[in-house]
Amino acid sequence: MRKFETLLLLSPELTSDNRESLLANFTAIIEREGGKLVIADHWGMRDLAYPVHKVMRGYYVRLEYTGPSALVAELERNIRNSDGIFKFMTVKLADSVAEEVA
Amino acid sequence: MPFKKRFAPRRKFCRFCADHELPLNYKRPDILRDFVTERGKIIARRITGTCAHHQRLLTREIKRARQMALLIYTATHDSQIKKKSII
Repeated sequence: MRKFETLLLLSPELTSDNRESLLANFTAIIEREGGKLVIADHWGMRDLAYPVHKVMRGYYVRLEYTGPSALVAELERNIRNSDGIFKFMTVKLADSVAEEVA
Repeated sequence: MPFKKRFAPRRKFCRFCADHELPLNYKRPDILRDFVTERGKIIARRITGTCAHHQRLLTREIKRARQMALLIYTATHDSQIKKKSII
């Protein structure tokens, strides 16, 4: 069980319910792969440092989750499949996470 | 003097060693911006006085922040796109 964090840069044109459905889809994937979403931190709309897809603004979401390492490949495959996501970056936060007794 | 020393030779110290809870990660571009020139280039250790260990971490985090459009790669972007796409 490792702790990861994925920072997503979503297109500003996405409506909020589009965004929610995307995030719900990712949470479902995390649960399905035996992981657990710790927090979905919405940074909100921010100005970008340089134009991405000819657009100067983007919506940032940070997903923090724990799970087996195979989960990341699966999650990223889905991120690549879905549209509206400009950039994403996954970072390993911790190697072993204490198994909280749910 | 072949060149004028830009910085007075005051005692330089590593900001991350001195102030331990200063977060060094790509999620805080405001802190990283102190270690980047206005044109977006990473400032050398001998100028900022950062220690080798933290400088390595710093460059990695700056490159991550650049990739996620939190920091600029270079200041001379195509300004036409910038003006046109500001909605």
